Amino acid sequence: MLNVKKEFGHFQAVDHVTLNIEPNEFFTLLGPSGCGKTTLLRMMAGFETPTSGEILLDKRSIAGLLPNGRPINTVFQNYALFPHMTVAENIGFGLKMLGRRRNEIVPVVEEMLRLVRLEGAGERPVTKLSGGQQQRVALARALAPRPKVLLLDEPLSALDLKLRQSMQIELKRLQAETGITFVFVTHDQEEALTMSDRIAVMSKGRVLQVGSARDIYEHPADRFVAGFIGETNFLEGTIVEAKGRVARVRLKSGADVAAAMPEGLPTSGDVTIVVRPEHLQIAADKDAALCATVETVVYFGTDTHVHLRLKDGSPVIVRQQNRRDGTAPPDVGTEVGLSIPDGVAQVLKD
Amino acid sequence: MADVAAIRSPDIKKQSGFAFIAGSCIAVLYLPMLVVIAYSFNSANNLGAKWHGFTSNWYNVVLANTEFYDSTILSLIVAAAATLISTVLATAAALGTTRGRPWRGQGSAYLAITTPLVVPEIVTGISLLSLFAFLSTVTGIDLGIWKLILAHSAFCIPFAYLPIRARLEGMDTTLDNAAADLYATPWKTFRYVTMPLLVPGISSGAALAFIVSFDDFTITQLIAGPGETTLPLYIWGRIRRTLTPELNAMCTLLLLISLAFIVLSFILSHRRRA
Repeated sequence: MLNVKKEFGHFQAVDHVTLNIEPNEFFTLLGPSGCGKTTLLRMMAGFETPTSGEILLDKRSIAGLLPNGRPINTVFQNYALFPHMTVAENIGFGLKMLGRRRNEIVPVVEEMLRLVRLEGAGERPVTKLSGGQQQRVALARALAPRPKVLLLDEPLSALDLKLRQSMQIELKRLQAETGITFVFVTHDQEEALTMSDRIAVMSKGRVLQVGSARDIYEHPADRFVAGFIGETNFLEGTIVEAKGRVARVRLKSGADVAAAMPEGLPTSGDVTIVVRPEHLQIAADKDAALCATVETVVYFGTDTHVHLRLKDGSPVIVRQQNRRDGTAPPDVGTEVGLSIPDGVAQVLKD
Repeated sequence: MADVAAIRSPDIKKQSGFAFIAGSCIAVLYLPMLVVIAYSFNSANNLGAKWHGFTSNWYNVVLANTEFYDSTILSLIVAAAATLISTVLATAAALGTTRGRPWRGQGSAYLAITTPLVVPEIVTGISLLSLFAFLSTVTGIDLGIWKLILAHSAFCIPFAYLPIRARLEGMDTTLDNAAADLYATPWKTFRYVTMPLLVPGISSGAALAFIVSFDDFTITQLIAGPGETTLPLYIWGRIRRTLTPELNAMCTLLLLISLAFIVLSFILSHRRRA
């Protein structure tokens, strides 16, 4: 229902972006700061005007509408709560501006307070609330007029880790309960992975890949996406044989690896393959084709990260789950073999 | 613990001589006023330094003085009108120079609004005098009391403008965005968000404008027509005729009125935070 098309500012803040966001979807714009995701959001809200292109909502262009004419509400990064109003006045503001009567506004405000679990806080001044509570008020205020689309501009970045994690679940619940389309902007890949139905990964004003969290993590479209989402090992090599969707790649360090071959890539020449750290296995036998020296071992509670260096000098990370009966991680300085199971490596577009 | 505090930051209050310098400053600022107030209770018949005994009679004399009444009321009327006009204009000017898209000449506009603060009052006064003389020659209309009100409004604008502008600059503009996002038209955004948050700035701007107008002597002296004797003009006139502690009593009352407006403005700007 939201059919956002390209536009760009004078320095191409957003460069020919075409996105199709479905109704009732939790859609995330993910990218490093300066990638144009916030500009894109501000254009949807109406605070910026596209240089060219158009933004469609329900198949109709909203280009001519000012922010106050768009059925789209925003949760701002700094919340932007009205400091001279109570919680209830903040939440009811949108409805009041729409000309609703008091007796229509009051029940909606009550419902919103219940929805964001702030029952009974309606008469408190917003300046007396904690960061997490202000966040909830900002959400309730934006949801109260029942917008067609809710835009969220890095709303969790000011919260501490624990609060952020519980708000992630909360946001997902709110989206499911209200059925409103959420467009969420973040630079935090973990946030994007845990909440989104679909993610658009952006860099330098362009959209590099759109897909579900699983799609993007398991089948990154290019080197930037692979590196930005989660931890990744990049290994250089040359294609020795390409058969259908699988290629045999000879790594610089000598070993042959079977890697998935996305469509549209050259079937010969030098390539980079990508392997997630949890897919690599440390083998007991030191004669394996891929040999590496253990440099650092970092314990993370649920798993252990082993940093190694291959013979050709390239760094590799292996993530091992910590089991009670499991094997202990190798000692620093020892030489170990590495194995890459079939089907976990992928050839990358550079 | 005392050592730790000393290391943390050199405290200017602990420097030797601080108390003396601070005390001297306070004394220079307030002792003359205390003298005026104290001698308004002197029962002597002249302004001499000799203390003849306590009396509150001079206040009775002042309050029975119809000329004092008339000039105070004129001063209040002029100050109120000038405050209203200058505050409205200053608010518009402050919004125009801080909100919306930056425009060509915004910096010059800021300078143009604030420069009158450093223009010598006598220059402002004479230029206003010439302007009004020119206007009345060309149009044949004598503006009467409006000359005083317009002149006061003019030199009050920068005083009202500065606190309002400071407040606007400290305000988060995403609040305006948030209001627009929640279906508020630009006018409603101003009415429900900008304006209420601007009240402390407006009230201190208005209080400053009021005091500046109420106390003004130089420009008023030049502009005021016959019969338009404001309180400072009246007190000045009295000094040239009879020197009695009644003058002290008048000055004390003038001081009280000024203080009352500062307190009022303070209460207005802090009421919302309570």
